[in-house]
Amino acid sequence: MENLLVILFSAILVNNFVLARFLGLCPFLGVSRELKSSLSMGAAVIFVMTLASVSTWFIQYYLLIPYKVEFLQTIVFILVIAALVQFVEMVIQKVSPVLQKALGIYLPLITTNCAVLGVCILNIREDYSLLETIVHGAGGGIGFTVAILIMAGIRERLSLGRVPKCMQGFPISFITACLMALSFFCFQGFFAH
Amino acid sequence: MGFFSEFIKGLWQENPVFRIVLGICPTLAVSTQLSNGLGMGLAATFVLLGSNVFISLIRNVIPDKIRIPAFIVVISTFVTVVDLFMAAYTPALHERLGIFIPLIVVNCIILGRAEAFASKSTVWMSIADALGMGGGFTLALTLISSIRELLGNGTLLGIHVLPAAYSPAVIMILPPGAFLTIGILLGLFNYLSNRKSP
Amino acid sequence: MREIFKLTVVLTIICSAAATALALVYNLTKEPIAYQQRLKRLAAIRAVQPDYDNEPDKDFVDLPAAKDKKGGDLTTRFYITKKGGVFTGTVFTVSASGYGGEIDIMLGLAPDGTITGIQILNHTETPGLGAKITEEKFIHQFNSKNLSNTNWALKKDGGDFDQITGATISPRAVVNALHRGLVLFRNDREEILTGKRG
Repeated sequence: MENLLVILFSAILVNNFVLARFLGLCPFLGVSRELKSSLSMGAAVIFVMTLASVSTWFIQYYLLIPYKVEFLQTIVFILVIAALVQFVEMVIQKVSPVLQKALGIYLPLITTNCAVLGVCILNIREDYSLLETIVHGAGGGIGFTVAILIMAGIRERLSLGRVPKCMQGFPISFITACLMALSFFCFQGFFAH
Repeated sequence: MGFFSEFIKGLWQENPVFRIVLGICPTLAVSTQLSNGLGMGLAATFVLLGSNVFISLIRNVIPDKIRIPAFIVVISTFVTVVDLFMAAYTPALHERLGIFIPLIVVNCIILGRAEAFASKSTVWMSIADALGMGGGFTLALTLISSIRELLGNGTLLGIHVLPAAYSPAVIMILPPGAFLTIGILLGLFNYLSNRKSP
Repeated sequence: MREIFKLTVVLTIICSAAATALALVYNLTKEPIAYQQRLKRLAAIRAVQPDYDNEPDKDFVDLPAAKDKKGGDLTTRFYITKKGGVFTGTVFTVSASGYGGEIDIMLGLAPDGTITGIQILNHTETPGLGAKITEEKFIHQFNSKNLSNTNWALKKDGGDFDQITGATISPRAVVNALHRGLVLFRNDREEILTGKRG
C-alpha cells in the first residue's frame, strides 16, 4: 500500500509528467488557454492513460513476451492506444454529445500525446505489477491535469496583463512553465530519508 | 515549389520547433547535451525520411479511411528499426536518449508531415520536405542543447569550452532551464521576424 | 460491408509487411545488441575488480538477499572473478535510496571482503549536487576499505568518509548501501566462494 502511494505521489508531484518528464507538452501548451477545456482534456487524459496502461500491460505480458516479439512493442502499443482513443471517442459521442463538443479535436489528439505512450513504456521498463501500473497510469494523468489546470489559471490571468508582443503566446507560456517546473522541483527528495 | 525551396523552408520559415512549435517533448527532454541533441535530430530525420518516402509511394493505394492507422504503422516500423540499430551500434547514445527513441513515433512533426505533405506529394518532393523538416528539427535541437550544455555544464560535446572560473548554472540542464531556453529563443525569433515584416 | 472487408485486408497487409520487416531487422541486430550488453556488463565488472582471467558474467552465484515489497525473494547475483582458477573476488550490485530515487552501485570485493572498487551504475540525483557521487574523488575513497578497518559513516556523522559540499543524503545513502553489501558478503561468504547455490 505504501509503495502504491509513493508511486502515485511521485507521478503527480515529484516526477510530474509534464514539468519533470517532458511528456504531454503539446496538449499542455495547446489546450491550456482556458480552465474549462483544460479540465475536460485532463479528465480524458486520466481516463485514456489508465486504460492504456492496463491494456498494454496485458499485451506485453500475455502476448509480446510469450511469443518473443518484444521488438513489436512500439508498433503494437501505439496501435492499441489509437484504437482505444477511437473507442473512447465513439462512446463519448453516444453518451454525451455535449462533452464531445467541449473536447472537440483534442480527443483524437490524445493519441499523439507522448504522455500516454510514454507511461505505457515506463510501466514495462520499471517492471510494475498490474496494480502498480494502474496507479502509475492514473497518477501520470492526474499530474498532467494538475499541471494543465495551473497553467490555464495562469494564462487566463496573463491574457489580462501586458505581455510584450514578441513574447505573446508560446514564449510567455514556456517561461511560465519554467517557473512552474522550478516550484515543482521542491518536491524532489520528498521521499528521501 | 522546387526541391531546394521545399528543403529550405523546413530549416527556417517553417522550422517545426521554432515556428510551428511541434515536437517540443523530445526537444526539451534530450537537449541536456549537444551529443544527445544531434543524435536525436539524426534519428528523427531518418525516421521522417523513411516514412515520408514510403507513405508517398503508397499514397495512391491507401484507402482514405485507414490512412492514419496506416501512417502510424509505417512510422512506428521505422522508429523500431532506428531503435534496434541504435541499441546495436550506438549503445551509449541509445541509453541516454532512453524512452524518447520509441517516442519518436508520436513526434507530431512526423505524423504531421505524413498527413499534410507526403500523402499528397511525389516521392522526390517528400524527400526534400523530410530533409528540410528533419534538418530544421536538428538545427533547433543543436541550438537548444548547445546553450544548455554550455551554460549548464561549461562544456560542448564534452569538451570544456568555458574557463574554469565559470560556475555552471546547473539549472540549465534541469527541466526549468529547458523551458527557459526555448521560451527566450521563441520570443527572440518572434521579435526578429516581427521586425522584418511590421 | 465490402468496404470494411477491403479496409481490413489493406491494413492487415500493411501490418504483416511491417511485422516481417521488423522481424528481419530484429534478427539482424540481435547479436550485436546482446554483444553490447555483455560488453557493458564486463566493462562494469572490470572497473571494480580487474584481477581476473575468467568470464565472470558466466560464472556467478545467485543468492537471496532480502525480501521485496511483495514478500518474495530478492536475489543478488554475485559475479565470481578468478585468476588461474583461483578465486580473486566477487562483484555484485547494491541499491541505495538516494535523494532522487534508487542509486545502483556495483561493488567489487577481494576474498577477504575488502573493496577493490565501486562504480555508480544508475542514479537520478541532482546534477551538480548529489550527482557528484559519480566523481573519482568520491568513489576512490572506498577502495581498500572493509568492515573492520573503517568507521562506516560520513565524517559529519562521526565516520571516515567525505561527503559532498551541499549534498548529504546522496553520499550517506551510498555509504549505507556499501556497508550493507559488505555485511551481505560476510554472511554469504561461504556460499559465494564455493559457488554453492543458497
